[in-house]
Amino acid sequence: MQSVMPSINVIEVSSLSKVYNVGEKFIKAIDDVSFSVKEGMVFGLLGPNGAGKTTTIKVLTTLTRPDKGRCIIGGFDLQKEPMEVKRLIAVVPQENNLDRELTAYENLLIYGKLHGVKDLKEKIEDKLRMVALMDRKDTMVSQFSGGMQRRLLLARALLSEPAILFLDEPTIGLDPQIRRQLWDVIRKTRIDGRTVVLTTHYIEEAEALCDQVAILSQGSIVANDTPENLKKLAGEYVVDVIDDTGKLSQSFFSSRDDALRELNKVGIGAKMRTTNLEDAFVRLTGMRIE
Amino acid sequence: MISCPNWYPIFLREMLMFRRKLLKMGYLFSAMIVPVIYLATFGLGLGRSVNIGGTDYVNYLIPGLVAMSSMTNSYTWVATALNLNRIYFKTFQVFVQSPVSSCSIMIGQVLAGMVKGLFASLLILIVGFITSGALPISPLFFVTLLLNCFLFASLGVITGMKTRTHEDTSTYNNFFIMPMAFFSGTFFPIDRMPELLQILVYVFPLTHTNILMRKTMMDIGAMVSLSVLIVFATLFFIYGSRLIKNYSE
Repeated sequence: MQSVMPSINVIEVSSLSKVYNVGEKFIKAIDDVSFSVKEGMVFGLLGPNGAGKTTTIKVLTTLTRPDKGRCIIGGFDLQKEPMEVKRLIAVVPQENNLDRELTAYENLLIYGKLHGVKDLKEKIEDKLRMVALMDRKDTMVSQFSGGMQRRLLLARALLSEPAILFLDEPTIGLDPQIRRQLWDVIRKTRIDGRTVVLTTHYIEEAEALCDQVAILSQGSIVANDTPENLKKLAGEYVVDVIDDTGKLSQSFFSSRDDALRELNKVGIGAKMRTTNLEDAFVRLTGMRIE
Repeated sequence: MISCPNWYPIFLREMLMFRRKLLKMGYLFSAMIVPVIYLATFGLGLGRSVNIGGTDYVNYLIPGLVAMSSMTNSYTWVATALNLNRIYFKTFQVFVQSPVSSCSIMIGQVLAGMVKGLFASLLILIVGFITSGALPISPLFFVTLLLNCFLFASLGVITGMKTRTHEDTSTYNNFFIMPMAFFSGTFFPIDRMPELLQILVYVFPLTHTNILMRKTMMDIGAMVSLSVLIVFATLFFIYGSRLIKNYSE
């Protein structure tokens, strides 16, 4: 694995903004976003579609130039030293960008050569084994299922042994079994000492994988903390009440006693439980993730 | 080249795909059909009754067809592939996010375009030789062919980077490539055109390719045409590299 400079924060983002001109409208994709990521952690950007997660990833992976702000990645200034940043990072994009007219092996071969990977043949085979695709190495990617393509994307990204791995909605559209297989690979990546930045709109994914979560809403970060602290921030206990029209209303409480009092007050139709990350998201953004 | 050392993976990717296309007979057939039609209709049809500059029309036509085919193949393959890879398949983004310079990406794409242009040219030379026995190859012809492929592959990168939809590629084709193919001395000498049109036609790089491909030795005219091609090729290459360097989504 390539090493980054011995700094605690491997990513430092300050006042990042990006505005897109769509027709005659100006849309703020990200607006004054600041956060930092410590080395070796899994950092999640959680938010609904259009919150600015992908734009943030595109900026951090040199695909999009920001209008404002500064990003330091592995000690290198993204705008001034993009080539140094590119040597440290790898990306699994939201949209599959594998070459469909090439085999799995050829896809990794080209990527490995682009990144100057040594002992390429052995490493390709190692990564293909890791994602259980070794027996399909000479199959054209166009014949792969969606889950196999996502696994190959992950293998490709890990081929260059990046210090920082960016995953943009890594399990989108996958069935639960494949999703959990990919989660295992991501956890292994973290154990290997890599820093992982992932975007997701799956609450359970953020909860299962992330050490720290930044909640994005309409291009801005509304909260940034550990999943546990975010739940505490919302209130550790929640009372769900469903009225006669079927509408759900929620009340949050920091103590169990307060929540129990509310439960007894409302009576039938009310349920008390501990807060999850989705509740925290709803509380902090006023929105529900679809 | 020294500052752009990592062009090979980009070139290799294109060649792996090209090799696969070559194994499909449909590709070979489609690459050959247009020049064969031109050669059959213009060359063999008119060839017997038309004489240009003291030579058979077929002998006049073959270098023109090579120039035209090397242009369309170098240009179209690069422009179309880059447009699709950037907008639809998103595979171009892999290059941008890799530690390779814009110049390396440009060289890889242009060399791949050149190979496709040279391959199409070779097909025409073979068909031309079989049908007429003519094989108009000289060192100047070969240098011009390489330069023409380089120039139009570079222009293909520019189109591939500038176009916003796949349909835009056809628009560029219809407005620039098609008129150039027909009015640059491919099928008939430029001096038979109206004078006003001749001025415009001399701006087209393909005109100078046609002039050079029919020359048997270097003279002042050849030097001028060669200089024009080198200037166009350099400008297109630099502009294409800049477009890649400034790429942002």
